[in-house]
Parts: sequence; structure tokens; C-alpha cells
Amino acid sequence: MAIQPILKYPHPVLKKMAHRIERIDEEIRQLMQDLLDTMQNGPGSVGVAAPQIGVSLRACVVDVSQNRHGKDNNHGLLFMINPEITFKNGSATMREGCMSVPDYTGDVERATDITLSFTDGISGEQRQFQSTGFEAVAIQHEIDHLDGILFLDRISSISTGLFRRKNYR
Amino acid sequence: MPYRELTHYAVSVVGADRPGIVAGVTGALYRLGCNIADSSCAMLAGEFAMIMIVSHRKPFNKALLMEELKPACENLNLTLSVRHLTYREEKRQDDAGEICQITVYGADQPGIVYKVTENLAVRQINIMDLQTRLAGTEDNPVYVMQLEVVLPDGISSDDVVNLLKGLKDELKVEIGVRIVTPVEL
Repeated sequence: MAIQPILKYPHPVLKKMAHRIERIDEEIRQLMQDLLDTMQNGPGSVGVAAPQIGVSLRACVVDVSQNRHGKDNNHGLLFMINPEITFKNGSATMREGCMSVPDYTGDVERATDITLSFTDGISGEQRQFQSTGFEAVAIQHEIDHLDGILFLDRISSISTGLFRRKNYR
Repeated sequence: MPYRELTHYAVSVVGADRPGIVAGVTGALYRLGCNIADSSCAMLAGEFAMIMIVSHRKPFNKALLMEELKPACENLNLTLSVRHLTYREEKRQDDAGEICQITVYGADQPGIVYKVTENLAVRQINIMDLQTRLAGTEDNPVYVMQLEVVLPDGISSDDVVNLLKGLKDELKVEIGVRIVTPVEL
């Protein structure tokens, strides 16, 4: 078990396209464990992507089952390797925050209905399913990290002071 | 830089819109070594307004700030206002409560902003952002207002709907209320 520090922008790894994972070995299994430990350590966090802990590989974990937006509609704890969205539909705006961009939130529009395929980071099986609602938003946010995209690249407005959570103290 | 080493000012400028206002004002700030912490600019009926919280490493004073800003604003025909912020004033509203977005629109008439905000104020609902626009046509002007407020403990979005229900009929406006929940991903 190893909680890793979350890298913050402007760390360059966060803006890099992460590499595909060719096979699941001990190193990848350790990475999945680190991602899980790091997510569970982040207060209220529902996902962590490998670049956020300094590993430029296409792996992330998502779990919205403990979050009030996702508790009734989720696939539980997901260990995702090389995830790909093959279908997108609908759109909704949520005010997103990210551990890699502290003290800031912004409105981001994302699909509300996605079809996803990935290699399960534990079993190694290929999985495909449809995800909707908050889980779909969280997955899109994490996959963006694998493409070097931060929510800052997608915000529609920064118009109010409220968007910034910083306190001048 | 540690906060305590900085001194802060609220700076606002307003003037007839033209290209170069932002560059002219921020150029003066840059030459002084000032940082723009928070800022917001808006075009309001052809008037361009900038509001900024500006910081500078101590020692620094308002006279130095004015010396550089004043000529820039005179060149651009801008009305300038500068206020030194003390440490207390600078503290931000703690946004611990739920964030609520309220949209109000309807035929233009006096009192829309006042009556909505008065109802919010008596319940200690703090406004974080408010924008209004006069839209529609000259014959049928439509007033559109959008607010972001922070709900104190014990007040739900349904309470806000009920609070403003009376105004819906009185002013014949449409009122929409929705909770904005920031999510940490």
C-alpha cells in the first residue's frame, strides 16, 4: 500500500499523452494499487489517473459508489487500463474540481451517456459497458488525464469569484 | 510569496469602450511590479469596466500606485478608483454552504433586482455573482438576471423557490433555481 503524492499543474507530466500499457505485470499491479490508495486518501476523491502520480501510462481508477451523486448508479470500483470511449451521447454541465488543480473549480460540459471499453487492471479481462450520470463524467475526467487534458482546457466560464475556492489566509 | 509580505488594493476603472483599455491599465500595473490577483471585466452598454484586486510586495503605497495608474487612465478617459485593503477586508467569504444559481427573467420593470435581492438578504443569503442584461426589443424589453448565491445552513433550494414564489406572481417573471454542486474528480 502506497499513497503517492498528487502532482499539481504545471508539472509537465500532466500535459503529456500517456503511453498505452502492453501487458499487465507486477509493476502495473503495483501501479493499480497505488492509484487506489491515493484515491482513497484524497478526501471525496472519486478517481485518480496514473499521470497524476507521475506515471505516464494509460491507467486510472474510478469509484463513485461512495459519492452521493453516484451511489445509485455505478459499476463500483473500476481499475481501468487503456480505457476508450467508443460512444458518447447527451450533455450536462458540472462544476468540476481536480486534485491536480487545487483551489479552483469550473463548469465543464460532458457527455452523460458513454460506452466504454478497457482492460480490467486486476483480472486482465477486456470489459465493455455503458456508463451514465456522474460515473460517466468522472470517467471522462480521468481519461482526459491520460490525454494530457485538464478540466481547465474545457471550462466554459470562469466568470465568478466563487469558482475559486481559495481563501486569502 | 507569503501573504503577509503583500499589500492589496481594490482597483476599478470604467470608461467608454475602446481597444486598449485592458492593456493600458495592466501595462501600468506591470511596470509597477503589481500582481493582478482576481479580476473581472465587463462591457455594460458600451461602458467597459474592470475590477481588480491588485497586490504588491511591501513596502508599497497608494500614492505610488496612483502615480502610474492616473496618467494611463487619463489617456484612456477612464474613471479610476483605488482603495487599500486591510487584512480583514481581504478575507474571502467562506463558501462552505451550498451554491445555488438563480435565473430571473421577464418583461422589464422597475424593482426586479431590488425585490429579488431584498428577499435573499433577509434570509442572510449571500450573493457571490450577479449579472443583469436588458434584452428583447425596444418595444418589449426583457430583463434577464442571473445570480449565484451561497445558501446558509438550513436553507435548501426548495426554500429559495418558496421564498421567491410571491415575486413570480407580483412581477410576472420566470424564476429558476438550481443547486450547483462542485465535484472533486
